[in-house]
Order: sequence, then structure tokens, then C-alpha cells
Amino acid sequence: MDKKILSMIKEIVGEEYVTNNPEIVKGYIYDETALPVRPRAANNILLVKPANTYEISEVLKLANKEKIPVFPRGGGTGLVGAAIPTVDGIVLSLERLDKIEIDKDNLMAIAEAGVTLRKLLEEAEKAGLFFPAHPGDESAQIGGLVACNAGGSRAVKTGVMRNYIRGLEVVLPTGEVLSLGGKLIKDNAGYDLAQLFIGSEGTLGIITRAIIRLYPKSKFMATLVIPYNNREEAFKTVPKILQSGIIPLAIEYVERKLVEKTANSLGMKWPASEGEYFLMIIVSEQSENSLYEVLERLADICTSNGSLEPLIADTRREQDSILKIRSEIYTFLKPESIDILDVTVPPANVLDLIKRIEKIANEYGIEIPVYGHVADGNLHPHILRIDGWSMEKYKEIIGKIYSEAIRLGGTITGEHGIGAIRKEYLLKFKSAKEIELMKELKKLFDPNNILNPDKVIP
Amino acid sequence: MNFNIIVPIKYVPDIEKVRFDTETGRIDRSSAEGEINPFDLNALEAAVRIKEKYGGFVTVISMGPPPAEKALRDALARGADKAILLSDIKFAGADTLATSYAISCAIRKLGSYDLVICGEKTVDGDTGQVGAEIAEFLGVPHSYYVSEIRDISKKNIKVVSDFGDAYYLVELELPALISVTKDINSPRLPTFKDKMKARRAEITVWKADVLADVCDIDKFGFKGSPTTVSKVIIPKEHVKECCFIKEEEAVDKIVEVLKEIGVV
Repeated sequence: MDKKILSMIKEIVGEEYVTNNPEIVKGYIYDETALPVRPRAANNILLVKPANTYEISEVLKLANKEKIPVFPRGGGTGLVGAAIPTVDGIVLSLERLDKIEIDKDNLMAIAEAGVTLRKLLEEAEKAGLFFPAHPGDESAQIGGLVACNAGGSRAVKTGVMRNYIRGLEVVLPTGEVLSLGGKLIKDNAGYDLAQLFIGSEGTLGIITRAIIRLYPKSKFMATLVIPYNNREEAFKTVPKILQSGIIPLAIEYVERKLVEKTANSLGMKWPASEGEYFLMIIVSEQSENSLYEVLERLADICTSNGSLEPLIADTRREQDSILKIRSEIYTFLKPESIDILDVTVPPANVLDLIKRIEKIANEYGIEIPVYGHVADGNLHPHILRIDGWSMEKYKEIIGKIYSEAIRLGGTITGEHGIGAIRKEYLLKFKSAKEIELMKELKKLFDPNNILNPDKVIP
Repeated sequence: MNFNIIVPIKYVPDIEKVRFDTETGRIDRSSAEGEINPFDLNALEAAVRIKEKYGGFVTVISMGPPPAEKALRDALARGADKAILLSDIKFAGADTLATSYAISCAIRKLGSYDLVICGEKTVDGDTGQVGAEIAEFLGVPHSYYVSEIRDISKKNIKVVSDFGDAYYLVELELPALISVTKDINSPRLPTFKDKMKARRAEITVWKADVLADVCDIDKFGFKGSPTTVSKVIIPKEHVKECCFIKEEEAVDKIVEVLKEIGVV
């Protein structure tokens, strides 16, 4: 990078917050994307850590003028390479923007982009409030979670990131700062631009602060582990639960073989000794009596739809360990995985999708482990490494799974996003007009294509 | 070959969540849910496994205020057959000696037994003394840090004790007391059905006077406690700082910081 520009950036954020030392930079150029599909990061990266919106604005003004690509970076927990700087430029780490304030009366958190999910959960809890979503790794940062519209397991009752965001502060590639929305439950003044930035994966603007809706702390929470010998019965139970008026925080689906191996790898034990297929249902209520009333109805629905005896975890420790096993399936499978898919279909079609994935697996004589957020219709099939297979062959299978998801009225990604690795499929499965509008939008917000170039837009 | 097994359990605050009042050093019990001391879950699981294999009866005993009943119900859901709560103002303020005395009295009151199984320690007190003291009061042999039960008959029990630097194979005559480590088993989750049954079950509550015929009730609680906590110090939270230092400045900067904090 030009020495003059470098010194201008140092002037803006302070010399100690700018480095191109490869030893430090290397910790900021990759995310959690599976290695075989992960794009290569560029070699000449300048790591910049601004302290506030003003500094970000100044850096962007300069980058825009000099047409230097800027890659915003949060916790680096993404799975589609959206945070990887694929061309030379600036990696803009938001980690120093880590202030958070809880507005107890309005039930909202005002969090800067670098606040981690863990910190948001802790601060909300301290105020007697609750952030119900749990979009994966707790080291993820708010800016990234919003930019990627993260989902996770606790989305059944109150939704994904998009459903929580009431306001955003965003720095445009031109350096202009937008303050969108507010601590508002209703806001109908014109186009809702904040929604455009949610899920834009850092391509339209840099999210510096978010106003996040919180909920009253659920004083009583329990997790049911419901074993089934028959997979269809497990899937058929899910709509029956939702129709009954019970909306749990999460309904997850896991299979014994996978969940047991994951638990063993963690030195833990999957708690159920019976059953091959499991629903894992998290319920929260405001009183102990209402919690058990709901659980009793839930258990009745499950057992009358073919489940074996449901197990209950009602201590935090035991609930955490079950959730931990479920959350670590991804990490357990990752070393063997070529790619981790994120297909989503209308919830009632999940069983169909899983059967079609199984058919594809049989066709190729391989195993495709599947688990996911069953009430959201969101499954994560893992494409595992097979000795001697080419990338083309894996892509053929991925393409087939995507086609089946689309045929069932679904989408190629429910929560991971497009990033760098799904662009070709976006092109295949979205209409030409939609792609054209996306390109136009990108041009409108980022005429010089400096913000996270090479991502999302095919 | 039925075994009559007793498992003392403690109702403790969730130690990872509980907050301390840094001024008084006291636990703010309203800041976290209570639960069975996690080590006691291993003790209960060991007892229930013996019962399932050979037949028997598992009694859980806890000493504490009325909310401790919650821990006992949880134990019933996990396979205990009977639950006794020692709850009385006379038990309050007990140190490990007065606690183990009261529990040993309750065990005497119950009559005959084959085995007492404790968790190795509690997560709030962390002393690990109560089990051994109960055994001394009862006059039965005990073995600590049991990570495996090799064999059990009506006459004796063979256990592996993990003392960190060595494993001891110990044989004890019954009745005896063992305290188990977390390695001995993975406690099961209760079925929802058993949980609901336990929620409706009766918990026997014994006041101090109930034990009057088997012990000296003046040795309960604060009166019977030779030790007191004089001060609790809460470790201060430290904020760690991180900054970039240029290679050529690194050594000087590190020396400067080490001097600042008095290391060199």
C-alpha cells in the first residue's frame, strides 16, 4: 500500500491500531468456512482497528477515494467465507467498538458492532432481560451477526437476528453515516433501509451499532430430549406441537450415531440410552408451574405420536451440556467435511427433504449426516470427504441437494448466507431480475465496489 | 442381595452463575438457581446403579432450608426411593462438623444401612470434609475419591480410589462410606414421567427434635460448630490489555512493563 495512504490511516486510527505484520494479520483473514471450499486470502492485507464510527467513516472516505477494498470483520465465525479478504486491501476489525448499554424500560440493547454475543447475553441477563436467539458461537460479534442475519437454534419462538433489530447505525462506503430506525416497535416512515443491511454480509455498509430488542428473562427453562425409533414419527410430531399452541424456543433434530460420536469427542455422554432419532426441545416460561404444564402437554403430544419416554434437563448445567453437544456437531464433523450445507424448506417439508438427501446419498453410495433446526425447516447436511473424489463430484451432489430444496419451495441457505462460496448457486437459483436488482443496489450503495468486493453478488 | 444405600446431598447455588456481594463476602442466593451439588449427582447415580443391578433401596438426605426440597425431588426423579429433609432453625449456621453430625444422626435414626455414598465435595464449600466426618461419627470405614466400584457383596465393597498420583484398590467391610469423584459415572437425565412423579412425591421433613433420641441436639447448627468464617475475599476482576508493538520496540517495551509491575 502506498506509504502516504498508510500514514493517513495511521493518522486516523492511531499507529498502534494499524499493522501489516503477517503474524498478527493471519489471525484476521480467515473464518470458520470448511477448508476445502474456503477461498484463499490475499497476501497484502492491512489490519486496521478503528475505535469508533468517526474513524470508520474517515477510513472509508479514504478507501473510497483511493478505491481500496475494505473487508469488515467481526468474530470470524462465519461459514461461507464472507469475512475473507480475497483481494489486497484493508481488513477493518470492529473489535474495539465494544460498548453496550441496556435500556431496561424499553427492553432494548444498544450494542456496538464489536460486542460479542456472549457479552450481549450476559449484559441482558444482568438487567433481568433475555436475548432469546442463540446464533452459534458466542464469540461472534453483533456487527457480523446482523450483517449475516444469523439464525441458530433458538429461532422458533422469536426469530433470527432480523427479527430483533430495531435500529442500526451504518457507515456507507462513502463515509456517510446513517442512523436507521430506533428504539421503536413501530416505524413506517418510508422504505425500511435497515432491513437491507441485515443479511448484506458487509457488502453495502459497515454496521457500527445496533438496537436490539430484548425479552423478559425466562425464569424457568427446560430441555426435553425426546427419543424415537422411527424418524417419520419424530418429524410428524413437530407440526402437531406448533398447532397445539406451544411455541418452544427451539426444536432441534439429531440422530444417535452423530450425536454420540460428537459427545464422545467432547468427553461427554449423550443422555439418552434408547432411540435412534431425537427431538431436542427447549421451552421457557415465566413460572415453574406454567413450565411444567407446557412440558406435560409437550410430552403427551410426543408420546402419543410414537416417541419413547422423553427425558428432561431442567438444571442450567445439564441443559448447557445438551446444547453444547448439539452445537459441537459442526466442529466434530468439520475436519471430515468438504462443505456444510444450510438448506431450508417450508417446515412441513423437512421430512421430504431429508428423504431426498438420503436418496442422493444412496445413489452415490455415501453417507450424508444431517441435523438441524427442524421447526425452522433448516437442515445442515455435511458433504464428507471421500478418497479420490474430485471437487466436481462434490459440487454435483451439492447441486442436487440444492435442487431438491428449491423443488420443495426452499432456499439454498437459511442462516449461513452466500459469502464467497455460494455465489454460483445464487446465480443458479435466483431469477435474473433478482440478481440484476441486487447488482443495482450494490452499485447504488457502493459505486466503487470497495466494500467486501467479490462477495454475495454473483 | 438387596442394598440399603444412603446418599447425603446438598442443595447448592449454581456456582457458575451465582454472584457475590463483594462488600460482605456473602453469596447473593437470589442471583442463581439452586441445584443438587453436581458431585452428589455422581453419588446418587452410583447408588441407583447398585440398586438396579442387585436390588435395594436408596434414601437421600439433605440438610437445609425448605427450598432444599427441590434438590430432594430432583433426586427422587433420578432414582432415589425416599427423601428426608433436615430442616430446622437449630441446624442453621452449621460448619462441616455440625453438618456431618446432624446427617450421621439422621442415618442412625433410619436404622440399618449397608452403604453411604457421598460426592467428593460440594461446589460451594469445597472442603470435602463432610463425608469422612459422617463416617467417623457412624464409626464405619470410609474411602475417598472413589472412581470405580469394582465389586460389592453384602459383606464388603471393593473400590478404586484415585489419589492423583496413584490408584488404590481398597476393600472395605460394610457398612461403609465412600465418596466418589466425577469420573465414576455420567449421571443420567431423569425421564419426564419420573420428574412429574417426583414433583408430587412426599418429602419427609425432620426437625431437630425428631433426632433427640439418637443424639445431642445441642451439637447441631451454630452451637455445634467450632469453626466460623471470619472473612471472605472475592478475587478482583482484572481487565487484560492488548496492544500492537513494533518488533524493534518490543524488548524495550516489555522490560518497561515488567519494571512497572515490579517484576524486574
